[in-house]
Amino acid sequence: MKRSGIRKMGFLFLLVVSITAGSAFADVGPAYALVKCRIVPGTGDIIEDGALLVRDGLITAVGPRQEIPLPADAEVIDGQGKTVYPGLIDAWTSLFLKIPKRPPLGFMQAFEGIPKDQQDDGRHLDYSAFENLQPNPQDRNALHKLGITTVLSVPEIGYISGRSVLINLNREDAAGMVLRNPAALHLQFVAARGVYPTSVMGAMAALRQAAFDAAHYRDSLDRYQRSGKTIKRPRYDPFLEGLIPYALEGGPVVIACLNQEDIKRALRLREEFGLNAVLAGSEEAWRVADMVEAAEVPLIVSVTFQPPFTSIHFSRDEEKKKEAEEEIYPANPGELARRGIPFALTSHGLKKRADFFKQIRKAIAAGLPKEVALEALTIQPARILGVEDVLGSLAPGKIANLVLADGGLFEEKTRIERVFVDGQSFEIEQPEGEKK
Amino acid sequence: MNRRHLNVLALTGFLLAGGLQARAAAENDVFALMNLRIIPVSGKDIPSGIILIRGARIAEVGADVAVPPGAEVIDGTGLTAYPGMIDCHSYLGMLEISNVAATVDYQETGLTNPQIKAVEGLRPDSVHIPIARAHGITAAHIIPEGAFVAGRTGLIRLTGWTPDEMVIRDEVAMHMVFPSHPGFLFMQMVGKTQPAEKAVSQIKDYLKRVRLYGERKRMAADRPGSVPHEYDESCEEMLPVVEGRLPVMLSVHSEEDIRAAIDLVKEENLKAIFFGVSEGWKVADDLKKAGIPVILGNLYSAYHDFDDGYDRHWRAPAVLQEAGVLFALGTQKMLPPLGKDLPFFAAKAVAFGLDRRAALRAVTLNAAEILGVDDLMGSLEPGKLANIVLADGDPFEFKTKIKAVFIDGKKVDLNNLYTDKIKQFQKRFR
Amino acid sequence: MSEKTYRLILSVFLILAPVSAGAQDLFIKDGTLLTVTNGTIAEGDILIRDGRIAVVGSDLKAPSGVRVIDASGRFVMPGLIDSHTHIALTDTNELGAVVTSEVNVRDMVNGEDRRLFNVLTGGVTLIHTMHGSANPIGGQNILMKPKWGRAAEEMIFSAGPGSLKFALGENPKQAIFYPAKARYPKSRMGVKAIIRRELIRAREYMLLWDRYHASVETGESDPRPMPPRRDLRLEPLADLLRGKTWAHVHAYRADEMLEFLDLAREFHFRIGSFEHASEAFKIAKELAAAEVGITCFMENWSYKMETAEGIANNAAFCARHGVTVALNSDLGPQMMFLFNQAGKALRYGGLPEEEALKLVTLNSARILGVDDRLGSLEVGKDGDIAIFNRHPLSAYTRCEITIIEGVVYFDRDAYLETQRREEEKRRKEKKKKDDGKRPGRPAGPMGGGR
Repeated sequence: MKRSGIRKMGFLFLLVVSITAGSAFADVGPAYALVKCRIVPGTGDIIEDGALLVRDGLITAVGPRQEIPLPADAEVIDGQGKTVYPGLIDAWTSLFLKIPKRPPLGFMQAFEGIPKDQQDDGRHLDYSAFENLQPNPQDRNALHKLGITTVLSVPEIGYISGRSVLINLNREDAAGMVLRNPAALHLQFVAARGVYPTSVMGAMAALRQAAFDAAHYRDSLDRYQRSGKTIKRPRYDPFLEGLIPYALEGGPVVIACLNQEDIKRALRLREEFGLNAVLAGSEEAWRVADMVEAAEVPLIVSVTFQPPFTSIHFSRDEEKKKEAEEEIYPANPGELARRGIPFALTSHGLKKRADFFKQIRKAIAAGLPKEVALEALTIQPARILGVEDVLGSLAPGKIANLVLADGGLFEEKTRIERVFVDGQSFEIEQPEGEKK
Repeated sequence: MNRRHLNVLALTGFLLAGGLQARAAAENDVFALMNLRIIPVSGKDIPSGIILIRGARIAEVGADVAVPPGAEVIDGTGLTAYPGMIDCHSYLGMLEISNVAATVDYQETGLTNPQIKAVEGLRPDSVHIPIARAHGITAAHIIPEGAFVAGRTGLIRLTGWTPDEMVIRDEVAMHMVFPSHPGFLFMQMVGKTQPAEKAVSQIKDYLKRVRLYGERKRMAADRPGSVPHEYDESCEEMLPVVEGRLPVMLSVHSEEDIRAAIDLVKEENLKAIFFGVSEGWKVADDLKKAGIPVILGNLYSAYHDFDDGYDRHWRAPAVLQEAGVLFALGTQKMLPPLGKDLPFFAAKAVAFGLDRRAALRAVTLNAAEILGVDDLMGSLEPGKLANIVLADGDPFEFKTKIKAVFIDGKKVDLNNLYTDKIKQFQKRFR
Repeated sequence: MSEKTYRLILSVFLILAPVSAGAQDLFIKDGTLLTVTNGTIAEGDILIRDGRIAVVGSDLKAPSGVRVIDASGRFVMPGLIDSHTHIALTDTNELGAVVTSEVNVRDMVNGEDRRLFNVLTGGVTLIHTMHGSANPIGGQNILMKPKWGRAAEEMIFSAGPGSLKFALGENPKQAIFYPAKARYPKSRMGVKAIIRRELIRAREYMLLWDRYHASVETGESDPRPMPPRRDLRLEPLADLLRGKTWAHVHAYRADEMLEFLDLAREFHFRIGSFEHASEAFKIAKELAAAEVGITCFMENWSYKMETAEGIANNAAFCARHGVTVALNSDLGPQMMFLFNQAGKALRYGGLPEEEALKLVTLNSARILGVDDRLGSLEVGKDGDIAIFNRHPLSAYTRCEITIIEGVVYFDRDAYLETQRREEEKRRKEKKKKDDGKRPGRPAGPMGGGR
């Protein structure tokens, strides 16, 4: 890192330049300097009086303020009393997606026979979240307010739901937002109404059959090649073709697990077919913690703390159910942390997304260490989604996704004031009448 | 019982079947059941005694009863006599095959149906009636079902060729369902509930409407020539209830609802019987204080609340008994078999703490008292209808055989579809 | 996990047995033993070692260090078996197809279905939990032991043959649905035709694999032959034809059972039992000759047209005519008192007590093919035991203790004690809440404070 005596002296001057002549620097990208702030880099030690430089969407420097020379063209932001965190990643949202309208299938219609081309057979392997991306500023701003700068947009249709996309919540168009596409294939243990499979066991059977068929298809193709194309070519199957990377070649598969039995099902599939699986939801992971720990499978964990319908707690009276919501289920993240199981936290499933931090605080109160909570919102989801080289912590060279808060991230009175996404600054509107 | 006794019974059965078919003709017939252990329910057990029957009624019961010369004598050595049991909540005669809609008549559509009468849907030929009878059940309180005001219940004897011959009371109570579910039955199916306050005001609004209707009717009658009174069946048939002439049988279950219902009944000055009362054990003292009798439903069922305990409904009769609440048992089954399990429900209550005698009383005299017919039935006493069960043991026990059943002094046929089918197919296996 | 959280969880499961998993040692003394196969032993003792019955006798001495249950004045019988139910499952039917043999209810077990606890309170130690009857060929069924508080997979009992559900009559032909366009099948004819079609397919599938295995062994062709496509729908049917799996056939009417017996003869497979079998009494002769059992209700009947002649004497009549008869609850509340259903066999048909007990023990084990492991108090069998306060066939009886593999999973006394404590706690909490708020019941039209 260079020395920066001169630049320090030109503080006021530079500020003027950046406002008046900002556009002139467009070819090297807008630059920001966050100074005097507390920096929580996510990995490594906390820097109390730090500085962080952003240029062209990337972090160029992080360190104690004295050690960071400020570029002449950077907009300097005084971070006195503020804390900078890596931008948070929500690894499971269903936002920003255009979902194909399905024919309204009633229970009775299920028996009437829907024409084949109108049927939703629950297999949406070809659904690409990217191709259906519809960014909208409302949802983006709502996420920014929670410090979330990156989301995985996940289709939730059928039992094979399709392929997700990982996006940065910047000001650009769909293509400009993409970090990784396709990010993963998504599965869930529910099925389409009215058409096969209608049951969890049906979905399991269908998934297994699909995996066996993919292997059989690949073997047929191999055999065709090995024969020197002297035997009849196997019949082309676009579904199996698309499935092979995930079923047989270790492409990431995220499986939605709403209860402990879903987790077991997912682990069984993972073992049977050697899937590269991530379990999403997983609010009952603590019920099967030994199994999850042994499987060394990463989790994306919801914080609704609602007992799932399969749980004994679900069918009890209101008082006992409340007790489970308040006392039992919030202990899940803490238990996972205690065992060192890697997991990300997600706002998925919350009735009000704005409650995300309230729920995380409950988890913290129930034993989740704050550092682990932060990791679960930053570096862990980055690792799970295979982008830890560019996201998830504050380090030079990483994407400039930042959160600027007026206090500790998990304190109740803390407000997030500003986020940076791909180095683009978003100031958060603070609601009227809300006191700090 | 040895063969000779059976023969005597069979002979008498034949005579009774031939001679006592028409009730009027039975008035002067006298016969005596001898050498019985008698459990009169209303009094002390008689280790060996006689029941003298004149016409449809019991003339005398005792260890030492003078049998008039010429009276038929039936030897019951080895048998015990019990009062006929009363199924206090039943769909007998109103339902044949539950999911064949064409055979289901216990339920009306709509919210407010006080004009409905259970006995008007009664089918004397129902295959379920002889089966219930063969278990020692001699009368049934039959219930129309609905979403709010379901209609009038009736009391029937389990014998007779026509509805008229079967009906003892064509109206016993107005069946109302405490509207803990707003709206129609669909809401019950989806489990939507409303708070007790709302339910109470729904009932109160309705009763207010009925009372206003009654006032208008009276005024119209007092002043002939004034605006003619408009008949409204949803109010007219409810007048006996608000006037205190007809009790209301209120199906009510949760603790909250029962408490609200107790207050409601008091405030509206209604004569009330509560049915179901799944959580009645939680408010047994309140029920006792309010003096409201209770009919419990199907005890071969599962309890709804995990935390209250798997066996709460089985322990409930003992709790009510302890508190001094007058209660009876009903079968309340919408899936056949109908009626016949009543004695086994009583045994279930005993298995979970109810005194055996209290259980017997619950299916006999308590039921008669609640239904207002304890002058007619419920115990073996002079003057009451001769509804008598002769069994070779405890009628609540599975292994017991019910040997004879008398209804209104007539021995009834204990054959039923079960026995008939077996007889029919036994031929194939000879 | 915090102490409090852990305690809250335990209170739900009312775990009374040692938390450590696995089979246990246990000594039951001085009970009236209803062995089912060897009569009654007054004041008998049972020693369970490693979850299996090690000794049955009288005047035995409890080995030191083994938990002792005093059963004096009580009746000890083998754990009851509910041979047809649908509890502990997330769904019942796969409704998306007419033939769904590929689905296995194992894939949707739920160990926290509270009915698993309910059945325990009635002495049930094994359930046959099944696919529903929507399809002519349903799914694969499993056996579970209701080890309440344990994980679902620990409850699955893997002994015996596989079990595949078939269904005949009103349900698969959708008699109570009137859709605009009917699903095939809409008649009993269609139901049988579909089953037959699939059995033929399964036979061909089986041959395909046999041929493949043979050609791999000879290893002549080049390139090596492709294995046939695995067909998860036909595999269980092929297993049926290979004798590894038994058919469990939902049927009510005598005629449809006879039709299915024809199929079993034609394709040489084994029927474990006809389920429900209301009209079995009409064809007891044929069933006995074919050595096909039934599992029926004691008396539920007339709930649909095909049960109009489902008489209560069915079980006893069939048992007397040499049919292996078992009873089941099929989800009904009688899952909690199957012993009462067995007791009714004394009244309807006057079955001897030992035969009546078999309806919910040994016979159930037989039709499920696990009678070598379960169904009687015999040395070597699983230590699955139910203890009653009175004779289990009395109408006045209740189950006191339920034991699975030597572990007490239900103990009524302890249960009541837990209940009492919970209620006391609630009362105190409620009182505290009420005291803080208002004195007594508030005035007003509604009265009572709630």
